[in-house]
Amino acid sequence: MAKQNLLPIDEQPERYQTLALVMTVCAAYLPLARYLNWRVSAFVALMLMLRFAAVRWPAAAPGRWLLLGLTLVGVANCLLANHTLIGKLGGTSLLATMLALKLLELRARRDHRISAIALCFVVVVQFLFDQGIGLTLYFGGIAFMIVALLVDLNGGLGSTPIRRAVPVVLRISLQALPLTIVLFALFPRLTSPLWSLGVDQDRGTMGMSESMEPGSISELVINGDLAFRARFDQHPPGSDRLYWRGLVLWEVDNRKWSPGRVGQYQTVNPELTQATERIDYEIVLEPSQQRWMFSLDLPIEHPPNTVLSSDFQLLSDRPITTAKRYRLSSALEFRTAMPAEAEQRYALRLPANTSARMITLVKQWQLETDSDWALVQQGLDFFNREEFHYTLLPPKLGANPWDEFLFETRSGFCEHYAGSFAVLMRIAGLPSRVVLGYLGGEPNRIGGYHLIWQSDAHAWVEVMIAERGWVRVDPTSAVAPFRVDNRGASRLLGAYAPARFHIDSTGVLSMAIRQLRLLADSIDAVWQRSVLDYSAAEQTRLLYRLGLADYGEFALAGIMVAAVTIVMGLILFGLIRQPDAIDPASRCFSLLCRRLAAVGLERNAHEGPLDFAARVAVARPEFSLRVNAIVALYIRGRYMPNPTAADIQSLSRLVKAFVPTRQRRSFSDTKRRKYLT
Amino acid sequence: MPQSTPHPQIKLIETLLDTAGTVILGKEREIRLAVTCLLAGGHLLIEDLPGVGKTTLAHLLARLLGLQYSRIQFTSDLLPADVVGVSVYERGTESFRFHPGPVFAQLVLADEINRATPKAQSALLEAMEERQVTVDGETRLLPAPFFVIATQNPSYQVGTFPLPESQLDRFLMRIRLGYPATAQEKELLAGEDRRAMVLRQSAVLSATEIAALQTAVGRVHVAAPLIDYCHGILGFSRRCERFVHGLSPRAGVGLLRAAKAWALLDGRHFLIPEDIQAVLPACVIHRLIGNDGTGRLDHDEVSTLILTAVAVP
Repeated sequence: MAKQNLLPIDEQPERYQTLALVMTVCAAYLPLARYLNWRVSAFVALMLMLRFAAVRWPAAAPGRWLLLGLTLVGVANCLLANHTLIGKLGGTSLLATMLALKLLELRARRDHRISAIALCFVVVVQFLFDQGIGLTLYFGGIAFMIVALLVDLNGGLGSTPIRRAVPVVLRISLQALPLTIVLFALFPRLTSPLWSLGVDQDRGTMGMSESMEPGSISELVINGDLAFRARFDQHPPGSDRLYWRGLVLWEVDNRKWSPGRVGQYQTVNPELTQATERIDYEIVLEPSQQRWMFSLDLPIEHPPNTVLSSDFQLLSDRPITTAKRYRLSSALEFRTAMPAEAEQRYALRLPANTSARMITLVKQWQLETDSDWALVQQGLDFFNREEFHYTLLPPKLGANPWDEFLFETRSGFCEHYAGSFAVLMRIAGLPSRVVLGYLGGEPNRIGGYHLIWQSDAHAWVEVMIAERGWVRVDPTSAVAPFRVDNRGASRLLGAYAPARFHIDSTGVLSMAIRQLRLLADSIDAVWQRSVLDYSAAEQTRLLYRLGLADYGEFALAGIMVAAVTIVMGLILFGLIRQPDAIDPASRCFSLLCRRLAAVGLERNAHEGPLDFAARVAVARPEFSLRVNAIVALYIRGRYMPNPTAADIQSLSRLVKAFVPTRQRRSFSDTKRRKYLT
Repeated sequence: MPQSTPHPQIKLIETLLDTAGTVILGKEREIRLAVTCLLAGGHLLIEDLPGVGKTTLAHLLARLLGLQYSRIQFTSDLLPADVVGVSVYERGTESFRFHPGPVFAQLVLADEINRATPKAQSALLEAMEERQVTVDGETRLLPAPFFVIATQNPSYQVGTFPLPESQLDRFLMRIRLGYPATAQEKELLAGEDRRAMVLRQSAVLSATEIAALQTAVGRVHVAAPLIDYCHGILGFSRRCERFVHGLSPRAGVGLLRAAKAWALLDGRHFLIPEDIQAVLPACVIHRLIGNDGTGRLDHDEVSTLILTAVAVP
């Protein structure tokens, strides 16, 4: 305490400043709690509580040695939680811990300033985790608080900080806006984010997994995340035709379906013998850390930096770590070319646990039908006729899931139907494969696009029929509608249930919530498209347009430095030119001076108003009456104590009405002028 | 001009200026500056060659202002006691009695101040600053108002002890009279004796009226932009390479006070930039030293330099 008294008076912080700082820190920490290890969050929370206690009882503030001990504990705690102090999570944890500790030694205003600036880093770092518009707005509020606090700590808000905070911070922010735009547009972007340079090891995959076993999709469906957004150039097709193709699974073993051996049968030139009902669209794919991308069944063109395999899988060159936007075209009506012999044989391999019951069933179908397609119909009839239930909560399956599902439990999700149906078709000698993807999507009429959620995940079967190539068969859709259990689904999914569960959405409240959610998503999509998607590619395009592409980042940096210089120069020029345009009388007088300067009567900077008026009166006697009146009012408004608003108004009126004209030079004028000068 | 109710004594000041103008011809601006200086409560230094009317001006002002007047002719053998007075032992009362010197007057004309030795000079200059005199351990207040009008010959003349800067700083203004213009000089030659004219004048103002005017000077309103302007002038004088050092804060205070008095003389209760510009040359010229080796500065050039360098806000 004795130390605090040694501070100069203007360095002593006010109590409200300390409180505002600590509360802003708390607010900035809140969203971080989702990502930090609970140990780190607990330590930070403990330190913040200690801080609040110290505001109330200053004696509770820890001394230097205790603080050192706490620091060691904090670092150890971070190590214990993340096993590292670097990387996205490790570094953020350390930063959060250290800032919380710094708050415990807030003595001078200087400490407050340092903490407020460090808090900016805590805010920026959180954009590594989430860049949504909601969080961005939230951090906008926090940035406002930080700026207001910094201005106040430097005495810029005076004795009425709350009243002056908004205009002052808005002005400062507006001044920073041009620079922000320049830096946003021109600061050289890294093509891959820093944290994928091997610094961070915790890259979890998101969305669809690589293989399919009973239960894998239903897990995904419960996940409420967005998979991608799609915007159609033409009128969008109906939901039941929106089969979003992802992975194609060829291999089946006792429990799961997995992709084929890449490269063995997949060529890069898929063939379509017929492709009609062409549709063009754009997809913004959420990051998945995987390579596969989604396209409407079946794609006929693929975007650059992608590969279209022979089984019409769209694959990206590199894992998708940030939101990816791409355009492509599909044909809704299509007929594929007949696959090669080897490929057909590959699509007939059976799992080892194919049961006798399954073979008997298929044999019976074969007796009843005469064509391949009729056999397929027979299979679909089977799912429709028998007691098959469609549910998100299927019973657990044992060692032979395909057999158990077909003959015992008979309730399952799309992966059960697709997986077992494909096995049945293979038994019947029809080459089959399973396709993983999404079905349908939620149209957002406000934003004019479709939202495809993880809960729209779906699996279906493709069967090879002679003369027709691969034909899509969706066994799930064969289930009798009255056996669809939508209660389980709605309980699990809440508002995010896919449209095919027929959630009752007639209630006013649920309609309103739905509309609000779609509106929020539209804003989010615009944010994504205009801000987050701005990347190295756009910058390269800009360089191409300027003809500077060869110089790469150096050109970009050069342009940026030039633009920053221009912006700063303009701001500086504005500051120099109009030092106090705030004063209304002064503004009016400036206007008068500009108008007189336009007719050749420029006021010297050092010339007082009366001197100027006198000079004008000599040069242009016809102006003297009006100029004298204006100058008299100006002197009243600017130099007299407590000028009246009426004076300022009449000054403004007089100045606006006074538009001097250039002198017509007659012979006598020229002579008089000569005489005067 | 903006209308404001002029101070009641302003009319008298106008009369004073008009009358003075009839005696000292063609020097209206200098007379006005001198009156401004006195109203601002400052002391005035008149520097010029002998015979241009310095003493006449001082004497005339004393008459018109109705002030008790005394004159000290500074010579090289002048002693401090000649200025402040001396205690003399009186046999009758068997005690020392103080005989006040010529400084105990309301208006003191210190003629040719740079002819005296620094010791004698400092006796007067101390009295100017403190407005009191300490003799034999006893402090005696000088009368109020107390003005000193000092005259000095240009320092390049023989037999002068130039006043140091610190002492020059105690004068609010330094003015020059200069030779009269042709017409005025002819009128002067044709007219009657100026000394006689001065003696014929009667007081226009009383001491209380002067005190009231001085109070009114303090009340003249100075708007914030003019404080900036004044500060800009001080800043420029400190930055400008033409000067050895810039103007002191005391010079700034004096400049503003003089400008306020000028505004009051103009019948205004608030300052405008022209007031500062009007008094600036007289207020700063003796406080600045040139950087060209001789230390001398040209009066008009310096005023132009400063006035054109600083923008009017």
